[in-house]
Amino acid sequence: MIRALRLTVFTAAAFAFAPAAEAHHSGTMFDDTKEVTVEGVVKEFQYTNPHSWLLVDVTNADGTVTTWGFEAEGPTTLMARRVRRGDFTPGTKVTITGHPMKDGRPAAAWTKGVRADGTAFYPRGGAPEAD
Amino acid sequence: MTGITRFAVLACVAIASSSVIAQEQAQQSQATWQRMYEMGLANRTASDLYQTLKQAAGGGQAAPPFSQLPDWSGLWTAGGGGSLFGRSPGGTRPKLTPAAAVEVQQGEALAAKGVAYDENLSQCGPPGFPRWLVIPFLREFIVRPEQTWLSSETVNNVRRVYTDGRSHPSPEEAFPLYYGDSIGFWDGQKLVIHTNQLMARSMGRNQPEQSEQMETVEIWEKVDAGTIAADVWIYDPTLYLEPWYVQRRYTQVPNADASLRMNYWHCGENPNNEVFKTPEGDTQYTDFTFTGDGDPSQEPSR
Repeated sequence: MIRALRLTVFTAAAFAFAPAAEAHHSGTMFDDTKEVTVEGVVKEFQYTNPHSWLLVDVTNADGTVTTWGFEAEGPTTLMARRVRRGDFTPGTKVTITGHPMKDGRPAAAWTKGVRADGTAFYPRGGAPEAD
Repeated sequence: MTGITRFAVLACVAIASSSVIAQEQAQQSQATWQRMYEMGLANRTASDLYQTLKQAAGGGQAAPPFSQLPDWSGLWTAGGGGSLFGRSPGGTRPKLTPAAAVEVQQGEALAAKGVAYDENLSQCGPPGFPRWLVIPFLREFIVRPEQTWLSSETVNNVRRVYTDGRSHPSPEEAFPLYYGDSIGFWDGQKLVIHTNQLMARSMGRNQPEQSEQMETVEIWEKVDAGTIAADVWIYDPTLYLEPWYVQRRYTQVPNADASLRMNYWHCGENPNNEVFKTPEGDTQYTDFTFTGDGDPSQEPSR
């Protein structure tokens, strides 16, 4: 598991916010200068329009569980980017990355997801070579 | 917070919307853009431009047989975002009325600070036209002899372009519409469209409001197997001192397994997507169902 802090130069395509830029709402509640990655277990994949939400239960050091929500585009955009509903069934162990909310709530704009089997997903587009 | 394995400050902020638009515009040369722009300048009104194009097409074709119509089947999309007040490929900006120029400047300042709210889409309203040109998600173009449907997944909208030879409703019968009234004719494989009866409303986040005087002319053409281009001239004397010209391109979405479909789309189907406008004019999510901070069935905390 990668734990090292990494500075990454992203191309515009890697973080193509274009759909979000004109989608149902502005993406200004997310801090796109920051990145957060959590390890957890999928609680629910809300495959909905105009935005989907991947809910991930993350176990804290004290044993409590925080549910994080990772926001992505709607089903057809996700399907076009090879992120299917069945890819994240409840109980799936995942490592999820996104741009966190500015207000500190446990939610983020979902940019990357990696399952325990190593399969990587990029719900906002962005080729693996950008990472 | 334990469980967070990385929290990295990115080396650069890469907001792609403007880049996407720039890339799309770059597909058209400045010389071509200039020629199309001057077609708008040469015609005082959108109706004049439409008639000029119709005359050049020998009157155009009304309701041509299916065999003469282009194949626009499949699913299409475009990079969303952008502004109809942006720059041409060569950097030309539209000549705006003083009031519109101030609004555009103020909007750009807000956007630079990351402040934006969507008066239309965030409340499940339609994007309307011409904003329709720049919205993302899937599109489907249904071509029939007597009319063409230009549909978009966003809020389930359909622009109907009547190509059966009819005229617009008379001024006495006309009333403002989100997508206006569109009539057109075929010039070979090109669909030429005139739209009026548009509603006065916001053209997008941090952008001015269009007026009921706005009218547009479009030329749609499949320029290669995977690309449909739309040349668009926008006339609105409350915004533009001269008609503005933009080209939008829509690319075919790979769908070899036919798994992608246009689906009904409503922004209220998931309570986690509810947003509100902050006192500062920004966008913020209401209480989430998954944080346990509030009862989503109750009025969201703001």
